[in-house]
Amino acid sequence: MDAARGGLRVENLYKRFGRDIALDGVSFEIKPGEFFSLLGPSGCGKTTTLRIIGGLLTPDAGRVYLNDEDITFLPPEKRDINIVFQHYALFPHLTVFDNVAFGPRRQGWPEKRIKEEVGRLLEMVHLQGYEHKYPRELSGGEQQRVALIRALITRPQVLLLDEPLGALDLKIRQQLQLELINIQDAFHITFVYVTHDQSEALAMGDRIAVMNEGRILQIGDPRTIYENPVNRFVAYFIGNTNLLEGKVVEVQPGGLARVHIPGIGEMWGVCRHHCDQLRPGLSVAVSVRPEKINISRTPPDDPGYNTIAGMVQDIIYLGVSIEYIVRLEQGLTLRVFQQNLADDARQLITWDEIVWLYWLPAHALVLVE
Amino acid sequence: MTRRWRYLVSQYAALAANMLPPLIYLLIFFYIPMSILLVMSFWKSGYMTLTPAFTLENYKLFFSSPIYLRALANTVLIATGTMLALIVLSYPIAYYLARFSPRHERLLLFLIIIPVEINFLIRIFAWKIALGRNGIINSALMSLGLIDEPLQFLLYSKFAVALVLAHEWLPYVVIPLYLALKGIPQEVIDAARSLGANRWDVFWRIIVPLSVPGLFASFVLVYIPMLGEFAVPTLVGGPSGYMLGNVIESQFLSAGNWGLGSAIGFVLLTIILILVALVLKVAGLERLL
Ligand SMILES: Nc1ncnc2c1ncn2[C@@H]1O[C@H](COP(=O)(O)OP(=O)(O)OP(=O)(O)O)[C@@H](O)[C@H]1O
Ligand SMILES: [Mg+2]
Repeated sequence: MDAARGGLRVENLYKRFGRDIALDGVSFEIKPGEFFSLLGPSGCGKTTTLRIIGGLLTPDAGRVYLNDEDITFLPPEKRDINIVFQHYALFPHLTVFDNVAFGPRRQGWPEKRIKEEVGRLLEMVHLQGYEHKYPRELSGGEQQRVALIRALITRPQVLLLDEPLGALDLKIRQQLQLELINIQDAFHITFVYVTHDQSEALAMGDRIAVMNEGRILQIGDPRTIYENPVNRFVAYFIGNTNLLEGKVVEVQPGGLARVHIPGIGEMWGVCRHHCDQLRPGLSVAVSVRPEKINISRTPPDDPGYNTIAGMVQDIIYLGVSIEYIVRLEQGLTLRVFQQNLADDARQLITWDEIVWLYWLPAHALVLVE
Repeated sequence: MTRRWRYLVSQYAALAANMLPPLIYLLIFFYIPMSILLVMSFWKSGYMTLTPAFTLENYKLFFSSPIYLRALANTVLIATGTMLALIVLSYPIAYYLARFSPRHERLLLFLIIIPVEINFLIRIFAWKIALGRNGIINSALMSLGLIDEPLQFLLYSKFAVALVLAHEWLPYVVIPLYLALKGIPQEVIDAARSLGANRWDVFWRIIVPLSVPGLFASFVLVYIPMLGEFAVPTLVGGPSGYMLGNVIESQFLSAGNWGLGSAIGFVLLTIILILVALVLKVAGLERLL
């Protein structure tokens, strides 16, 4: 297997449906063998992008390249790219065996090889002995496994997955997430994985592209996307965050800025994107992740922290962590996560207690856009 | 044990109570008349006479007469040919309706259904005017210089019967097919394409097998009535477009031989039952329903 196969590049994809603009200049490049997630809210153009890559749709403008070869107008059956759909799309009139054998038969494999390979792949996804069942006799998870190996058996260069686990319940989802990652490792096929579930994208992608309204907002590895979002939308869409709107008071070199937030006061934060626009008086948002905030009955000794007092309004017990909703003066609330250490000796914070919240300026992101 | 027994009895009683009205209806209007005809088909029968004495004479007569056998052959030929032509014609229409044009769907469906509402005789006479020796088609072709003589096969032929039947039954083939095609998810077709199937493969391996329930519905709705057709061949069939329905009709209404008429009717019914069983088996319908 040639390691250089499966590199995918899309340039400036543009697509309208009637008056709606579905894609408004989408570009990205995916390395061979990469697990690339496409993440965004419903209707942002993820499926449209995937269908263009798969050849099921032609863009109004823009190009698709596979290994630097322009495939924009190549029909789907001529592309070495397969698709796994959200609703499995198994052929209802064919058995599991004939479903999986559909691709190899189009390529003219000998029946003996098909039989061996189908058997091998069914075993890989724990469905041995299912050859003669019909799709409607399988559970959702089993159907999706069949759809997966049906798309994999011919070893395409790229596999497109459109919310493949979206219709399954949580346990099976998590199990299949793991299986997918293992399969992608084993087959070394480029995966383009569409999801609107941010935790799935973070868990599975080598890199993530965050989309909204037909545009790519940010591309990066999960950590970068989570820790350094480019704008309010990405910060809010990925994970949980407290977004505080305010105005810049003072700018220091290195992206450090003092921001005034009505109802809270002034705090220090760092800017990492579009920082050249920072100047006193500019409206910005400060994003503080709930798990970066410390909660305590006493204020911190270190004056380097941003510190504020509030009252516990709500406590949500999540098992691995405890979420506190803390009400500040003037009605603002902040979400705070604390790891559940279940320390009996220390008395747990309870409702209506006055608490101190504090976090480092490095964990307060100043977002210009 | 007794409780279970009483429970079962009450269940069956409820079932019987529900089934009774349709059963009575079928009995009076269907099974009793059919049984009378079946008995008559085994009676000695001649012009306006019917003697209650068992005989196979009526069936023997049918199977030894070249005229009747030709009518049977004609019937199967015309009905089968028309059915096949209808299926070929309906696929593109149904496919277009189901796949391409949500906006025009209703209007097109309406246009397809309208002809059904036009009176049967008006339709047939319209066809007669179009197809006749001096009809619109012949005079148009002659004035264009494409032919020198009027085409003879247009009217009073198997062709005429098939054409009029096709016109009559088109909606009943298009609509079940349209519903079947509409039920095929786009994703299934997309999956086939992405797995390497070209349009031809998609049609034969996905669309045709998945439209079998629709084809079966139109088979029952259209093919079986066409086998029993007698009005259309009477009006536009002429001597060569003679069908079994005409033979049965004339045995009852002009030849006055009810025994023979019944016998031919049961031959036709048997053929239909065999065909339905055959099609059900070939189509593997129990898998898809
Ligand atoms: N065939 C179509 N005809 C008309 N509009 C369409 C069509 N396909 C997509 N759209 C529109 O294009 C936009 C993007 O759709 P797309 O299906 O790509 O979204 P998505 O990101 O996949 O959303 P979801 O998470 O709900 O699947 C939407 O506004 C949608 O209404
Ligand atoms: Mg989608």
